[in-house]
Amino acid sequence: MQEFKIDANQKTPREVNRSLRQAATENDLITIENPNAMHYLAAGLIEPVEVIIDGSAGYFVGTMIHGARLHINGNAGWFPADNMTAGEVIIDGSAGDGVGQGIYGGIVVVRKDVGSRTGEIMKNGTIIVGGNSGFMSGLYMMGGRIVVLGDISDDAGESIIRGAIYVGGDIKSLGKNAKVEELDPEERIELKELLTKYDFELKEEKYHKFRKIVPRSARPFYGQESEEG
Amino acid sequence: MCGIAGIVFKDKKLHPVGRFMTHMLIALQHRGPDSAGFAIYGGLGLEENEYLLNIEVKEKPKLLEEVKSRVSAAFPIESEEIIPSVENYNIYRCKVSLNSFSQLKPLIMDIDKIDDVIVLNGAHSFEMIKDVGLVKDIAARYDTESKLGTHAIGHTRFSTESIVDRYHAHPFQSYIIPDITVVHNGQITNYWKIRDPLERKGHTFETTNDTECIVHYIADKLAQKYSLEEALEESVKDMDGPFSYVVGTPNGVGIAKDQLGLRPGVMAENDEVFAIASEEVALREVMDTSEIDQISPGETRAYTI
Repeated sequence: MQEFKIDANQKTPREVNRSLRQAATENDLITIENPNAMHYLAAGLIEPVEVIIDGSAGYFVGTMIHGARLHINGNAGWFPADNMTAGEVIIDGSAGDGVGQGIYGGIVVVRKDVGSRTGEIMKNGTIIVGGNSGFMSGLYMMGGRIVVLGDISDDAGESIIRGAIYVGGDIKSLGKNAKVEELDPEERIELKELLTKYDFELKEEKYHKFRKIVPRSARPFYGQESEEG
Repeated sequence: MCGIAGIVFKDKKLHPVGRFMTHMLIALQHRGPDSAGFAIYGGLGLEENEYLLNIEVKEKPKLLEEVKSRVSAAFPIESEEIIPSVENYNIYRCKVSLNSFSQLKPLIMDIDKIDDVIVLNGAHSFEMIKDVGLVKDIAARYDTESKLGTHAIGHTRFSTESIVDRYHAHPFQSYIIPDITVVHNGQITNYWKIRDPLERKGHTFETTNDTECIVHYIADKLAQKYSLEEALEESVKDMDGPFSYVVGTPNGVGIAKDQLGLRPGVMAENDEVFAIASEEVALREVMDTSEIDQISPGETRAYTI
């Protein structure tokens, strides 16, 4: 395995990302040291490389990546993995608003709490939150799945169109066009496989507490259900 | 986009708060390059009814003498200092002894009548430092790193609606009660709905900047014996728009965030320090950030000593 290290200290995000893109073509594992909550780290990275961010990242970490696998040892700011099309972003700490905003694919894992609007306008892919998720999680969600092991705050699934939000804790309130359903056994098995793969060790009874938030209608604002393809 | 920050040392003792706040604001420099400011509480050591005035004076023959004459005609000047700023302006700092706080605002309004002169602030329990330009330049100009205090708030400004100058740099101060300051990131969209009742109560507005509106709102609530926490909670209910702001008072710091959570705010706390900021990168300058809290939409936090 070919490894490379980038020291972000005293560098701008553009300098770090330029070094990262160059190193990504020739290495399998790249470690970014001293990230100091810097914004835009690994933006637009399209090589299938593994990147360890050894500390906290700022806003838009991993935005628009396609195939890269990022592991952030600390926290992340707003919009981690924004518009990702494929790949993996794992955050060991907490994260701010808009986790996985607009993702088309791939997986985002945050082990602690996240802020508001988790997974807003996401089209596909998976977001796992180990703690609680804030206000309007799944806002205008159009596909994919969000899994929240803790509680979900007000207006969950606001204007959700497609996809599902799995919640292991309390649902404070639902947004417009959102409803709550029970999981069927197959979904529970699928959920367990997913969470086990990402090292979440849950007791069996916890899986029976999960419920899912889904849309009431695929055409809630205009048009008719029959028009839905 | 602006950067806001606040820090409180819980033991009420003097600490190098100026240095910590300087580093927090340098970390937030990317959020606003227009101006920056500090309100550093607890380190001035003024006697009762002593106030420190910061007066912006253009470099013009005999103008400074006119300012000194105007001040000394009203109250004796106990000490004074001139800090050169940029763009042909100096900051004239003087310490005066009043008979009561109620004399402060009239004195400021009287000095403001002189052309090319504006009083940036007058304070008893905190030191206001605000100027145009980058944090590192302002920090060097005013030696912010040497300032001791118990708590502080700070700001880096990315101007949106109003002019870039020293007066419009944050913090803004209210004189409804002594030594209330605010730094702000965002816009108050129901500005006139907030301002009108305050004006009808007789409170004076010097600008049309929405941050001034916030600081008078909070000072008015505190004057009505609301606690800082209660005043912050009321503001979240009353104010519309995207905002997060930090309040400084003689004995504490607090933050409020709009009900949709459209502006950022994070906090971290340990046994010694309570700190809040727009981004984690600023908190990292003062403490370990392995555990930080996102301020939720509509949430307020405060710490008083």
